[in-house]
Amino acid sequence: MFLPSVLAASSFVEVRPGLIFWTIVTFVLVMVVLRWKAWGPILQLVQERETQISNSVESAKKMLVEAEQKMAEAKEAIAKARQEAAETVRKNQAEMTAFRDEMMAKSRKDADEFKASARREIDEQKAKAIAEVRAMAVDLSIEVAGKLINERMDDSKHRALADQFVQGLPVGGSATARRSA
Amino acid sequence: MRKAMVLFASLFAAVAWGSSGAAEGEKEDVAGYILHHVADAHELEIEIPLSHDHVTIHLPQILIPFKAGACEPRMTDHGEVIPGILAGCLDISITKHTVMMWLAAVLLIGSILIWSNRDKTKLVPRGTGANLFEMLVLFVRDELAIKNIGKEEGPRYVPYLLTAFFFILFMNLLGLFPWMASATGNLAVTCGLAVCTFIVTQIAGIRAAGLGGYLAHLTGGVHPLLWPIMIPVEFLGLFTKPFALTVRLFANMLAGHIVIFFLLGLIFILQHPAVAMVSVPFAFGIYLLELFVAFVQAYVFTMLSALFIGMGVAMGHHAHEEHGHGHKETGPSHDHGKAHA
Repeated sequence: MFLPSVLAASSFVEVRPGLIFWTIVTFVLVMVVLRWKAWGPILQLVQERETQISNSVESAKKMLVEAEQKMAEAKEAIAKARQEAAETVRKNQAEMTAFRDEMMAKSRKDADEFKASARREIDEQKAKAIAEVRAMAVDLSIEVAGKLINERMDDSKHRALADQFVQGLPVGGSATARRSA
Repeated sequence: MRKAMVLFASLFAAVAWGSSGAAEGEKEDVAGYILHHVADAHELEIEIPLSHDHVTIHLPQILIPFKAGACEPRMTDHGEVIPGILAGCLDISITKHTVMMWLAAVLLIGSILIWSNRDKTKLVPRGTGANLFEMLVLFVRDELAIKNIGKEEGPRYVPYLLTAFFFILFMNLLGLFPWMASATGNLAVTCGLAVCTFIVTQIAGIRAAGLGGYLAHLTGGVHPLLWPIMIPVEFLGLFTKPFALTVRLFANMLAGHIVIFFLLGLIFILQHPAVAMVSVPFAFGIYLLELFVAFVQAYVFTMLSALFIGMGVAMGHHAHEEHGHGHKETGPSHDHGKAHA
């Protein structure tokens, strides 16, 4: 009812070129000011931050890879060191054993040698002592026999006799036993 | 909350009751009052509450004649009328909506300078204002510009889109304050904004496709015999998008204000204060809806602007593909499905 007349009378559907002009001018001015003062700096800041973040993430990733690599290297080195140590220990042990065996063998040999030489000396001394005792016994017996029969005996003939006698004597303690008897 | 609303409504009713006695004599022309308030005017009328007085500020009239004597007022049936642009007279008078637009612009620049003022050496914002501001900026950049225009061309148009979003938002919101008006409830203002988007869109198209490609696109890529049909269609097609932008924003802002005014006007039409018990809560609801619509329309305008710019940018690619201009596109392809939508 009143709408058509109202529309005709009202200016709200009218497009005024002047206002379009002012709108564009205002809009452009606002855009220039804000671009200069607000959007530019803020967008630059945001961009910078994004670059920094992506760089940080990148470098963190790189560092992680590096760390992993280093970790693996360290592990490897540790394993190697351990293996080397084990090997050294084993080698030392073997050396020790060899050395001990060698020492043992040497000392045994020395002892054996010493024992053998001692025995040889004992035998020698014994033989010498026996020979001496025998010689002395012959002289003694000759002297005793000379005194007993009181006559001079043919040296070589009687010496042989006495020798024969001494040969017949038992060696060692049995001779003294017979003499005392 | 509900208690407060009931209290508010009854208070309003009481005031209306008190003033209804005075208004009894004069028959209120509600429709005229509303249309007077939403329409543009050559003066600012600031009503003084609880009285019938108002302060009137007359705004300057600026007329630019393109030829001598073009701006002489002519007598018609409706009284003195200033000739229009077709008669060679550009009327760039400062009007109510111009003032509101400027006020919005000043408030916008002021608040954005306050919000964006922060330690520029630190890359991370501190404080509510700086964070909120950066959130909005990033939203416009990532969700509107880059999604609709593409990753490498998008950032170029971010300042435009941001300005459009905040400027429209502030104009929308300004109308929700007492004594203020929404400049976006004026066809000329929304038309001006759409013209900006139109220009940016065409520049984006020419930049992407080159002038030849841009013109080739106007032919629709059909046989030359069909050009007489195709060129007017494509040419008209250029203007339908900004036209849709213009009308959508204008209608949304105007309708909300008219609804609020009518709900309150019901009290005076029905001449009974009890109506306020119903119409004031309703008007309050619509007011909240308007608050929401102010944001939504600013978003929609910006989003569609980004979409149109994206179509302009994509024009380059599909001009090359469809018309076989024989040079291979190396850049990543834009969303063609969206461009055709």
